[in-house]
Amino acid sequence: MLHISVISPEAMLFEGDSQSVVATAFDGEVGILTGHAPMVTLLGTGTVRVGDGPSFNVSGGFLQVVDNQVRVVTERASKI
Amino acid sequence: MAKGSELKGRIKSVENTRKITRTLEMIATSKMKRAQDRVIAARPYARALSDVISSLYSKELEGDFPLLRQPKTVKKAAIVLLTSNRGMAGGFNANLIKEARTLIKTLESEGTVVELHVSGKKGIGYFRYIGRAMVNQRTDIGDKPSAADAASLVDALMTQFAKSEIDALYVVGAAYKSALASPPHSQRVLPVTPPDKSAGGQKDFLLFPDAGAILSELLPAYVRNAMYKALVETVAAEHVARRTAMKAATDNGGEILNLLRRTYNRARQANITQEIAEIVGGAAALE
Repeated sequence: MLHISVISPEAMLFEGDSQSVVATAFDGEVGILTGHAPMVTLLGTGTVRVGDGPSFNVSGGFLQVVDNQVRVVTERASKI
Repeated sequence: MAKGSELKGRIKSVENTRKITRTLEMIATSKMKRAQDRVIAARPYARALSDVISSLYSKELEGDFPLLRQPKTVKKAAIVLLTSNRGMAGGFNANLIKEARTLIKTLESEGTVVELHVSGKKGIGYFRYIGRAMVNQRTDIGDKPSAADAASLVDALMTQFAKSEIDALYVVGAAYKSALASPPHSQRVLPVTPPDKSAGGQKDFLLFPDAGAILSELLPAYVRNAMYKALVETVAAEHVARRTAMKAATDNGGEILNLLRRTYNRARQANITQEIAEIVGGAAALE
């Protein structure tokens, strides 16, 4: 199980558990499942989809994975 | 009875003033709560950002990023002073202005040219009054500062810093520690002081594309976030200060009101007593 949070400067947009996250990185889509190695990647312009949760439009920022914690941190994010 | 009606007028006037201050206090209380929520909501982002920057940052990278440039001598510095657009907040704005003046004095005594950017009518009014030139005057940032407001304040300055047109950037605002303590606070935002290494987990991350590219994206975000944090904290502190000031004003109004009412009643009683004495005296004279 992944613990996912989507964070913008103004607020925590989403926090919860899910099986997977698919995000648009700077060079294409990246999918994250439980047990992913620690990673930091820049995000591009596109969507971040939380497994069985909400989706977000995101532009810029980064995604970090540590110990099944996924943080999507971006200055421009809005819920779809 | 002339004294009585005069007192009555004053009582009425204090009552009305007290109504205003009490309303302002209640408005400030509700705005304060929302502003506090905003300060708290801004924390996860700041934490995430400094975690990642601190785990990627290393001393060797300093030369590669214009925002990490450490000038040996500071020839020109920019100060962004955040004040409120409205008064009635006790010493809030005066304290911020004082903090800014102290900083300007220190910098100028070191031979630095200081350019001043002011947000908020109160700060602008003061510096216009003492006749000091301001490079930038903003009155459009209100009760709900957004990340975009922060970016609009700081983006141009970041470009100037990268081009070596300024060597340092300070932000003067209020640090919001709690509802009771929000002292004025000046902070050096540029050059960037990387967050403490021990704070972030020392993990070996897979980095895409690489540490340099990630940092060059995140350092500006870090600066903008520092600005945003200063903005929301200053707004929260403003409402705290206004609430305190208006509460004190309402309390003082109550005291004055008590005093006036007492004096008025005493005058009224003295009047009645005198009238009775006159009547009794008049009746006694008839017998």
